[in-house]
Amino acid sequence: MSDLDDFKATYFDECSELLLELEEQFAAIEDGDRSSNRLNAVFRAIHSIKGGGGAFGFSGLVGFAHAYETLLDHVRDGRVELSEAVTALCIRANDIVADYVAAARDGTELAEGYGAEEKHQFDALTSGDPDLGSESMEEFDIDFVPVMVTIAGAEDELAAEPFDLAVLDDSFEAPPLSPETGHWTIRFTPHSELYARANDPLLLLRELATLGDVEVNARVDEVPALADFEPFGVYCAWEITLRSETATEATIAEVFEFVEGNCDLSIERGLVPSAEDMLDRTMEETAPSPAELIETAEVAPGAEAAPVLSFAELAESMKPALKAAAPVMPAPLKPSATASEEPEGDNDRRSGPEDRRNGVQSIRVDLDKIDRVVNMVGELVITQSMLTQQMDETLRARYQELVRGLEVLAQTTRGLQDSVMSIRAQPVKTVFSRMPRLVRELTAKTGKKIRLETIGENTEIDKTIIEQLSDPLTHMIRNSADHGIESPEKRVAAGKAEGGVIRLSAEQAGGNILIAVEDDGGGINRERVLQVARERGVVGPEQQLSDEQIDQLIFAPGFSTAAEVSDISGRGVGMDVVLSNIKKIGGSVHVKSWTGKGTRMTLRLPLTLAVLDVMLVKVAGSPYVIPLSSIVETIQCARANFSRMPTGAQVLQVRGEYVQVVDLATRFAMGTEIERDNRFVVLCEAEGGVKVALIVDDIIGQQQVVIKSLEENFQSIEGIAGGTILGDGNVALIVDVQGLKSQALNHKSAA
Amino acid sequence: MEALAFKDDISGGAVQAANSMQLIAFSIGEQTYGVEITTVREIRAWNGATPLPNTREFVRGVINLRGTIVPIFDLRARFGEGQTSPTKNHVVVVMSVGEKWVGILVDAVSDILTVSKDDIHNVPEGNSIDTELLNGIVTHDSRMVGLIDLHAVVSGASSKLDS
Repeated sequence: MSDLDDFKATYFDECSELLLELEEQFAAIEDGDRSSNRLNAVFRAIHSIKGGGGAFGFSGLVGFAHAYETLLDHVRDGRVELSEAVTALCIRANDIVADYVAAARDGTELAEGYGAEEKHQFDALTSGDPDLGSESMEEFDIDFVPVMVTIAGAEDELAAEPFDLAVLDDSFEAPPLSPETGHWTIRFTPHSELYARANDPLLLLRELATLGDVEVNARVDEVPALADFEPFGVYCAWEITLRSETATEATIAEVFEFVEGNCDLSIERGLVPSAEDMLDRTMEETAPSPAELIETAEVAPGAEAAPVLSFAELAESMKPALKAAAPVMPAPLKPSATASEEPEGDNDRRSGPEDRRNGVQSIRVDLDKIDRVVNMVGELVITQSMLTQQMDETLRARYQELVRGLEVLAQTTRGLQDSVMSIRAQPVKTVFSRMPRLVRELTAKTGKKIRLETIGENTEIDKTIIEQLSDPLTHMIRNSADHGIESPEKRVAAGKAEGGVIRLSAEQAGGNILIAVEDDGGGINRERVLQVARERGVVGPEQQLSDEQIDQLIFAPGFSTAAEVSDISGRGVGMDVVLSNIKKIGGSVHVKSWTGKGTRMTLRLPLTLAVLDVMLVKVAGSPYVIPLSSIVETIQCARANFSRMPTGAQVLQVRGEYVQVVDLATRFAMGTEIERDNRFVVLCEAEGGVKVALIVDDIIGQQQVVIKSLEENFQSIEGIAGGTILGDGNVALIVDVQGLKSQALNHKSAA
Repeated sequence: MEALAFKDDISGGAVQAANSMQLIAFSIGEQTYGVEITTVREIRAWNGATPLPNTREFVRGVINLRGTIVPIFDLRARFGEGQTSPTKNHVVVVMSVGEKWVGILVDAVSDILTVSKDDIHNVPEGNSIDTELLNGIVTHDSRMVGLIDLHAVVSGASSKLDS
């Protein structure tokens, strides 16, 4: 791979991040948040995409992005109003930019004049201002020159920085000082209790910024020499100049309402020192402390991940565009992607100077490398649990030191495992944010009015699972839009709002992540589903199904109730794909429908794929493991209350409930010599709350295992979800509880 | 056994001509079979396997080969001559079939043979299981060696369905 290819790969990585950001920003703008920092973020993202595109010669992309950027510039200046129509145009433009980027990445050509209509609309909107419209294109290459140098330094994260710098001038330029507007000077000195109560000055300053234009200056005269520096000490105060026509003392005080008593606060009318004076002073005062302590934190409208600057650069860039300069200690102000977003990692916040760059310091690592670490940690966990198992009572008594060492090892291994898992964990936002575009496209195609709501998008889940989620979610949302939500006329006739809602939510529930797609449409048409199922022989003519069983039929392969195949759905592939993809990653799908009210499809996914807590059992002399998450309880056969159905099938009575019984030895066609009464019942809960009682020969214990694929060298086997390697080196098979249950159902219906 | 195999491999490999190929020969009872040496990954003694449910009788189960799970096929059972009762003296030949690794349970690994490709004869029609599982027959030192078609041997393993 040539260097240029490396740069390109980096550029496309960044583009996908920037496009996600665009999607996010416009989601907020659509919801009515018209604050200028959103627009600035959009502007920067487009500018960065354009700049990089120019360097690589993607002229189509650059041409379109340029026109778009010009429009955004006008919107930002207020020359073009950000009306609904303009927002819609911008969102469409984002999709087009994404297409251009995708085309550039894949080396494909888009149709001649793609996006020309939108471009034309940009020009029409911005034509009022010819001097900007005629801005020459050569400029982009100039913008980009520093990037090549920076990337060569292998600082991927910093690669985008010069773009940001390039726009810094115009995006943050403060309006000229106008002494006639209302000026307030606020001195804010937090006490340590303020931090102890988990307040964050950054949030206060940001809130202050919503009142008007602010200039924030940090007062760092209290910062001691490094030798005397206390990591948890509070040394920083702020002096804020607020320019606002409307602000009153009361509204300003309200911002600080929750920290009252935990800080010294003075609010005065009038301008005290000029910004330049403040800057000089800040520089003077901070000179003795290490220059790195300084990091910009933008608080003003336009807050956006601030590039880390060296002190010299900082001074340079502050002069024209100073909004705020705040030392980051003792409470590091973490620049966050958007002002409204809760800064993450509150716990790390005050844990010491080494954290101060958390917000911006990251590295890109090949997923392969992380996977290797994850696998090895998995093996380590297992070896450790094997060692622990080897310790019998006599050993314990004799080698206490060894036992203690093993306990520490167990703890450390657990910690290591958790940290490695957290490296792989990502917020589901990365996949959720692709969905608004899909819904827009579906809205356009179906002519229905659909709004997408997302909840819990910061829920974190293993990256492999996230990657596997995109297809199922797409199919589920398509299904909801096409089959679930009714046409506006039908909805009105049914007394519902004209526009339908699809709600996409994610939450953590124990060791699982639940992802739900809900719609407020008509629900599953059970008669139609059953009719089609009978026609296709999925369900026998005599078979009676409960409503719930009918709902699950939509996951059958090739099943579709659509009268005709549209380009959205109807081929019957979608829900089958959902089920198989989700099963592949060890999850399950459940659908619940309310006639006339809507449908909810829930995906239950494991938090991680690497390690599974299991119960080790023996069947016919061979080891099997059952996932602990599906086990409800275990019972000795001698105490279990079995009875026979009229058909001869065995059932187990547990607390007034009849549960189907699967004897694993019989089911797996392996003889066992253990007497019935000495065997055990493992009561498991399969998907949808259906219980199944598995009979095993012996229960050996609980442990953690790493899942190994059987398909890698062999093929899948019914009733078996995979394999794993035990501490003694033998292979144990993982029982597929869900699979056994559904097979049992089939066997019954066949009989 | 492994060491022995490799020594022979080196001495035999030196004289290998373009038109010849080397086989690892192994025996099941009186019969000798061979596979091309390049497909063989490892030869190990039988040390038990975890049986797999719902598979045909020639699938002996799976073993742990340094962290990956590898299925073991009983070649005797595959030829329809009943399951082997394996002892510590039985041998598993681990081979790669396409992307997959599989183990074949045989009685013993006997030799490394260098044969000319011209000497390979077609399997005579008649016995369906032989034609199904063999690629050809080669004569070496007046012994008949059946060339195993690995793809055919490992196919059709899970088959409760067709029983």
